Amino acid sequence: MSISIALTKGRLEKQTVSMLEQCGYGVEALKNKGRALVFPDSVYDISYFLVKSNDCITYVEHGVADIGVVGKDTLIEGGQDYYELLDLEIGKCKFIVASLPENEIFNKVGHIKIGTKYPTVAKNYFLSKGMDVEIIKIDGSVELAPILGLCDGIVDIMETGTTLKENGLVVLDTVCDISARVIVNKASYKLKRKEIMKVITDLERMVKENASNNC
Amino acid sequence: MEKVQLPEGMRDLVLDECRNKRWLQNKIETIFDSYGYQEIMSPTIEYYATYANAYENIVEEDKYKFFDQNGRILMLRSDMTVPIARVCSTKFKDTKPPYRFRYTSNVYKVRQKFRGKQSEVTDCGIECIGLDHSNLEVLLCAIDVLESLNCPYTLEIGNVNFFKKASSYFNLSSEKLSDLINRKSMVELKEFLIQNNVSQKAYEFFMKLPFLSGDASVLDEALELSFNDEIEAVVLSLKHLHQMLEKMGVSQHISYDLGKVPHYKYYTGIIFEGYVSGIGTSILNGGRYDSLLDKFGYDLPACGFSVKLDSLIDVIHLEPQKKMVVYFPISKQVEAYMKAKELRKEYQCVECRIYDENIITVKEEMR
Repeated sequence: MSISIALTKGRLEKQTVSMLEQCGYGVEALKNKGRALVFPDSVYDISYFLVKSNDCITYVEHGVADIGVVGKDTLIEGGQDYYELLDLEIGKCKFIVASLPENEIFNKVGHIKIGTKYPTVAKNYFLSKGMDVEIIKIDGSVELAPILGLCDGIVDIMETGTTLKENGLVVLDTVCDISARVIVNKASYKLKRKEIMKVITDLERMVKENASNNC
Repeated sequence: MEKVQLPEGMRDLVLDECRNKRWLQNKIETIFDSYGYQEIMSPTIEYYATYANAYENIVEEDKYKFFDQNGRILMLRSDMTVPIARVCSTKFKDTKPPYRFRYTSNVYKVRQKFRGKQSEVTDCGIECIGLDHSNLEVLLCAIDVLESLNCPYTLEIGNVNFFKKASSYFNLSSEKLSDLINRKSMVELKEFLIQNNVSQKAYEFFMKLPFLSGDASVLDEALELSFNDEIEAVVLSLKHLHQMLEKMGVSQHISYDLGKVPHYKYYTGIIFEGYVSGIGTSILNGGRYDSLLDKFGYDLPACGFSVKLDSLIDVIHLEPQKKMVVYFPISKQVEAYMKAKELRKEYQCVECRIYDENIITVKEEMR
């Protein structure tokens, strides 16, 4: 049976495609994409499409895509109606809590405001610390918010930490690690188990190989 | 805006959608009826406390709640199993079990916004109450329903006791662990097991559990993993069930998943889900819940399932229907309607339509 795979555009795209290529999948079309939206595999009965990270979950949940590759950051904010079978260990970064050095958010007496693009992540993190904070949703350049005094601290994704440092923010804690995950539609897993498990085991082998190469 | 808008999660069904749904409902109800299941209709509104009593960990946010005149919390029913348990334990105490009930009712859950999910869906199902050995009967009924849909399907069976016995042996019983295994969330599961410092034996067992799924051969695999008699007994009972289904010649589309453990406190034995090709979610869900009735003061074992009619609408393809149309000039209204009345004795659908000619004509058209 043919299967479809939704890949997240942008940061993860190149690395995911090269992993598939290493596994021997025919991903030429994905490497020279014109204006096409759906890309057939030249070796296996697979079609790929490129979508935004949030949409990747939606497509998989509805079974329009059988498999999706998407960052854990998006998964935490999105739905839960899928199987999360594999960590591709690419696109690694972290969710962190940061603030200006003088804002002691963990010791502050009174109302705390946290700016973030990821309200669910922020809310759950502070609840797990027994703290009830107000979340302010910010869509871009979250670092700006505490500098301008909109909030006491932020929860955001950190790759290298340069942006935070340049803006005078300090990292107070790591919330969790993030990397690209392979998610699978539940019904597809039951109805096309063989085809899906092949993709999963191929990618899993590649993850292990990459890990041993890095050691 | 409110003039034309539907509330979040609600949907209108029109024409063929309704026809498909009704056709499906009739078909399934006929199957239920042929097994001796009798209909129950219960009110759309229940006390929130009724559901809170039934579920240990009720999810508060996904219920539609409001108040009655006395300030008590009401809710739109979120499933039919709980109302039926309530009805059974209050209205049937004086008649002898077993009871075979069926229902077709709309149930309500608040769904996440903008995800394309429906908050009101029709559940069509059965509950077999008061029988210890009803698994086979209930499964056969489910297979009959799936067969009647005429499209490729899988009925996947699990048993929550496999997880329950193992997790209590390792002192790891928790909602969190069952949820991770049920969602086959391998990365978080690994983290959880490492964080909890579990033994090597437990680690290997739980990391394998989510992948214990597939055709009947996984039961042999599960048997090898069973490390005590209790767990072995669970697998053996599934094997026995499979043998019975095989003997009856209905095992071709059956698969097993021992990592299926949703609401593990609610279900007490087998649990199963039906999938049909072309639909991204399960369309049939059921299982054994032997402790539910006791919560309403009537301790009886029970097993049942329900079919989600709405998600099946799209896979139903019915033959287009024919109709007779009586065209008539306005001056011959009475004759036309008399003609139509006559024709209705023979045809299922006869429609009357005014036109400009001077005579009455009858034509066959598509609906």
